[in-house]
Amino acid sequence: MQVKWRNSLKNGWRYAALAPILLLDGCAGNPYWIFDPKGLMADTSLFYLLVDVGIMGTIVGLTALLVVWFMWRYQKGKNRGKYDPVWSHSNTIEVVVWGIPIIAVGVLSYFAVVGTFEINPYNPTVISKQRKPASDPVEVDVIATDWQWLFVYPQYHMAVANELVLPAHTPVFFRLTSTAVTTTFFIPQLVGMIDVMPGMRTKNALESSNIGEYQGIASDYAGAGTSWMTFKTNILSSADFGQWVQRVRQSPTSMTYTSFNNYADPYINVHHKVAYFSSVQDGLFDHVIDEVMNGKTWPIPPMMTENMVAYMQKQNAQHRD
Amino acid sequence: MLVDLAGGWNPMWGRLAWSQIPYDNPILAPLFVAVVVGAILVLGLITYYGKWTYLWKEWLTTVDHKKLGVMYILIGLVMLFRGFIDGLMIRTQQAWAVGAHSSGVFGATHGYLTPFHFGQIYSAHGVIMILLAATPLLVGFMNIIVPIQIGARDMAYPYLNALGLWFTAAAGALIMISLFVGDFAHNGWFGYAPIFELQYSPGVGVDYWIWTMELVALGTTLGGINILATIIKMRAPGMTWGRLPIFVWATLSANVIALTSFPALQVALALIAADRYLGAHFFTAGLGGNLMLYTNLFWIWGHPEVYFVILPAFGMMSEIFPTFSEKPLFGYITMVLASMAIAGVSWLVWLHHFFTMGAGPYVNSAFSVATMLVGIPTGVKVFNWAFTMYRGRLTFNTAMLWAIGALFLLLIGGLTGMMLAVPAINYMVHNSVFVVAHFHTMLLVIVYAIFASVIYWFPKVFGFKLDEFWAKTMFWLFSAGTVLVFVPMYMLGFMGMTRRLDYVFNTVWHPYLLVMEFGIAVYMLSVLAFVALLYVSIRDHAKNQVGADAWGTSRSLEWLTHSPVPFYNFAVLPHISARDEVAWRRDNGIDHVQPDHYEDIHMPNNTGVAIILGGLTFVLGFALVWRIWWLCALSLLAIVALVIYRSFKGDPGYIITAAEVEKMEKEALRREAQISK
Repeated sequence: MQVKWRNSLKNGWRYAALAPILLLDGCAGNPYWIFDPKGLMADTSLFYLLVDVGIMGTIVGLTALLVVWFMWRYQKGKNRGKYDPVWSHSNTIEVVVWGIPIIAVGVLSYFAVVGTFEINPYNPTVISKQRKPASDPVEVDVIATDWQWLFVYPQYHMAVANELVLPAHTPVFFRLTSTAVTTTFFIPQLVGMIDVMPGMRTKNALESSNIGEYQGIASDYAGAGTSWMTFKTNILSSADFGQWVQRVRQSPTSMTYTSFNNYADPYINVHHKVAYFSSVQDGLFDHVIDEVMNGKTWPIPPMMTENMVAYMQKQNAQHRD
Repeated sequence: MLVDLAGGWNPMWGRLAWSQIPYDNPILAPLFVAVVVGAILVLGLITYYGKWTYLWKEWLTTVDHKKLGVMYILIGLVMLFRGFIDGLMIRTQQAWAVGAHSSGVFGATHGYLTPFHFGQIYSAHGVIMILLAATPLLVGFMNIIVPIQIGARDMAYPYLNALGLWFTAAAGALIMISLFVGDFAHNGWFGYAPIFELQYSPGVGVDYWIWTMELVALGTTLGGINILATIIKMRAPGMTWGRLPIFVWATLSANVIALTSFPALQVALALIAADRYLGAHFFTAGLGGNLMLYTNLFWIWGHPEVYFVILPAFGMMSEIFPTFSEKPLFGYITMVLASMAIAGVSWLVWLHHFFTMGAGPYVNSAFSVATMLVGIPTGVKVFNWAFTMYRGRLTFNTAMLWAIGALFLLLIGGLTGMMLAVPAINYMVHNSVFVVAHFHTMLLVIVYAIFASVIYWFPKVFGFKLDEFWAKTMFWLFSAGTVLVFVPMYMLGFMGMTRRLDYVFNTVWHPYLLVMEFGIAVYMLSVLAFVALLYVSIRDHAKNQVGADAWGTSRSLEWLTHSPVPFYNFAVLPHISARDEVAWRRDNGIDHVQPDHYEDIHMPNNTGVAIILGGLTFVLGFALVWRIWWLCALSLLAIVALVIYRSFKGDPGYIITAAEVEKMEKEALRREAQISK
């Protein structure tokens, strides 16, 4: 019942959201990523967004109409409404003006708390409740550097830089950390944001309902290369995912603690370079956290991108691929 | 040195070197020339017209709360313009640098700003708009209006008041000089940990940011003490708590927040300074540091600061709606309670600035509900303004238009704020431009209230009204700009566009960014309209002179004394008999009754100590930024010596005799009689 209600609410909104786009560019696909979720987590967020906007929009809309009506009715010299120069208090109105916000906040608080547990990044009940015993979850360790993403698949002992590939209809559990500074991990159509912090571990989870390619973003400023710190998220069928794993395993490069140290040096990924690592030294994720906690840093040179063109020439000359 | 500095250092010049002057920068170098030429021109004109003595005696050394307020507002307007230019540059870069095929100039691969410069510009935009535009503008209005509204002759501590102003001016000077000497921070206005640490920000930018913020924080804390003492101790006889004008209540609640929260910021910044100067590890990722501790500390100040700026704006609206509705404010006691409730709750919500930190669902739920609670008193305020208009007689002059605009913006900001308060929604739009659009909507409530107040109180301070045509032109241009910039920004937020992008990877967003750029151009026109407004109003000021009650329907005490307000505020301190004293006197036909005799007035003396201390703190800040230790020591020593000197000297004040007061009052009354003819 609840699911049905949810879906009809969301579908209606999707069509409404599409309207301005058709006017503006009419290109394929819905550019409103937030209104076009492709996974359980993003779907749940949209549901609460619609509930919130529904309740608050009604109140705000009616209040705006009330104000406009007062402006029209009581304009000086028009004699539409009665002027009462001393009226400034009414117990009834006081009760109403306190009552409406209190009730609205009460109702929204209920939804807010329930929603917080449903998509709690550490244990989203929206995923755990629907979980079928057959579908084994995929684990991904996310390590953000300045300014690349490394996705380690500990179950497969392999890693991929700047591209995330996952099977559809399967729970995915992330552990996330960063080497240098803080940023935020965000795939708008699949899962909301979670901070990625050096020397710390956060978690997140998602389950995709569609096959397709979705944009991933470093959504918090992390320095000069942030704007280019994006990644594609490919959601494949289980069979395709298996083939893709085999492809990665054939890569000639591997990632060790030592090679990671160089990999984590500042690098602006202007050309969206993707790299496959057929093997990864065990425990890299925990090793990085330990290193950072013990004071390891990857410093940025002064005025590094004051001249971006010159910096890119320098970076290209390093041939770090 | 306790820390490893990238680049050179020497005992004489610290980190300062010629290479730190961006003389080869195609934007900064011409700007620098323009600034120097402009400064020479202004200084030359002052000398030519022989105004140095006037300037020094009447303005630079003044302790008059009205003049200090005017100077606060001038600083605020100048910085508002600087912040606006930063905004324009950000918008231009994002409208230009879209997609891999967009062109680049001035060393940028896309657009015209490299990441190095873009980071500084958006950080400066934030710091300036909140701490050096909104805050001084509001403090300026509090300074001018509050003492008159409570029937006082000046602030409780006039010298401290001047000190607050000159600290703020020093902070403004420090952030301005960072344009031309060295660089500014790139860590956002609130500072990301640990990106502000020396390893990730090796330049002097973060140091500029630290000491600018420290100086503003110091100035605002001193101001807070002063305003609280003034409201509590300096009220005229009969001005009971229940009769305080609503703007005074708003100011009171705001300054309770300021006094209790700014120290948290000062401590947080001092700890960053310890990290960067002494090699401590408060907020580093490793070696025992805790970077989220900084984020918590910052927002423990940062969120109350948001209400420190919005509450006075609410107070301004609560003064303007009744005046132009020609009836008392609806629900005075409710309004007071709502202000105090907002101030109280402001302490309990800071974590909603980082729901995405990864705190557990219990923590996020608690802060989510606490955040929503703010919606209750705020909602009540909106309804009360609406019911102030109900059964009123509304005049839509420009002050009223700005206030109504603020009300509608508050509705939109409230709607989007209630969305952000829900963690499930927040995860999706946090760090997106949706958040940017939300808090700009809220800050525009403040800007609208400020411009409403400029129109509303200008005649009180200067004795003539602003030109209505140009004021309305500015309002409509500004509002068109607001719609054109922020509606597309909300839409982009729902498209998933994130903040602070120097390069925009998604070309689908381009049309919206172009609309925003057009909106910024419309904003620019409104700035020109504001200049025209000032020019035309000053040119025609003889035509637009006003008496004590400039609007004819004013209600609170500031409208009892002459316009412009004499430096002693009231010839004889009034006895207060009602909540809306001027309206009460008008209704009882005693609003033009003059006192039968005058008495001596005791006033504080001017002092040059405040501006000298401001200058010395600027030098100290500059020396700290560049680590010129001998200059730090010297300026600090001078500051301490001057403070001690002043505290022994004291100020006995001076007396204006009753005869002199009578003479000045007669002159003012004669002028008023002329105007009414």
